[in-house]
Amino acid sequence: MKYSFIRPRRKTVLTPEFKLLLTFFSITLFMLFTTYGFTLYRDYKFIQKRANIVETRANLDISISNYKKEIVYLRDEIDLSQKIYKHNKVLKESITNLFDLIPTRITLSEAVLLEKGLVLYGITPNKDIYNFMLEAPLRSIFDTTYTSFYPSDNGWIHFVSTNYMEIDETKVQKDENNEEK
Amino acid sequence: MKKNSISRPHIYLLILALFLLLFVFVFSFNFLIPKGKEYRQLRGELKVEKKKIKKYQDFNNAKLAILEDLQSKNRAIINSFNNGFNAEKFETKYKKYFSHLALSPQVKLADEEEFTIYEVNTTSQINSPKSFYNFLDAINKSDWIISIDFPIKFKRKEQGISSSFTMKVYKIDKKSDRNSTEKKIILPE
Repeated sequence: MKYSFIRPRRKTVLTPEFKLLLTFFSITLFMLFTTYGFTLYRDYKFIQKRANIVETRANLDISISNYKKEIVYLRDEIDLSQKIYKHNKVLKESITNLFDLIPTRITLSEAVLLEKGLVLYGITPNKDIYNFMLEAPLRSIFDTTYTSFYPSDNGWIHFVSTNYMEIDETKVQKDENNEEK
Repeated sequence: MKKNSISRPHIYLLILALFLLLFVFVFSFNFLIPKGKEYRQLRGELKVEKKKIKKYQDFNNAKLAILEDLQSKNRAIINSFNNGFNAEKFETKYKKYFSHLALSPQVKLADEEEFTIYEVNTTSQINSPKSFYNFLDAINKSDWIISIDFPIKFKRKEQGISSSFTMKVYKIDKKSDRNSTEKKIILPE
């Protein structure tokens, strides 16, 4: 038997107000967690990138250090080769000058070029020609000059001229280089 | 009986709303905002690091360019230092300057920090000093780094001039850690 003329309204937990509240908070929480998740992910990526940068920097350090060493090494090689080439050129000029120095009237039989000296063996028509034409220029080049003579069978005079430099040329060169620097 | 102005379901709803709101605030202030600050800080630091590494990379490239330039301009010198002295090859190449050329076996003279020096004594015969000058010019373009050393002797013979001199041959022996720099470095994105 019915006591009411209307049908009873079904009661439910999900009232429109509750649904509205749930929707609002669901969206809010979704946004919060998404943002938090995003920052966590980005932080993780940043840490990874920083680790990569640290590794790259370490590799670059090694690489730069190796390049620097290699450059220094190469420059040493180049400097040494230039020094040697220069030495050979100077030597050529010295020998050229030596042979140019010998007057036509004097004949050389032997020449020994030492690091700081020169020994000449030869034959001269007379002492005066030797003294004026060879010894004088030799004296202007070398610090010490000794000459010994002995007669030859044909009337000419054999001579042995020993010439030494006292100045340490290598030291002078080093000093010059230091001055240039 | 006086009727309540707020119904019981509404009170529950209000409590739930307050609880959720509290959660949102607590979560935001305790986790989200600090994490966001950390994110911004890390992003700034990363930017600075990237700039620094870019400069480093440029410096590295500049050094590499200098090295490559040196290597390309001095290829002949580098090869000469690396070549081992070969007496037969030397004689074949330079006998044209002498009417006779003989070399003594090479002797290790000194072992310097980077180079090993070998000494080779030569006895030769030349027709005129000019041949020797030409030899000295040619020696600077040889396959080896050779320094003509004292004593140099010239002695007049019936035919030509006999000459003897010492050569110092420079060779690189210690090549440790060289060419170990061929490492490709990739910048992080």
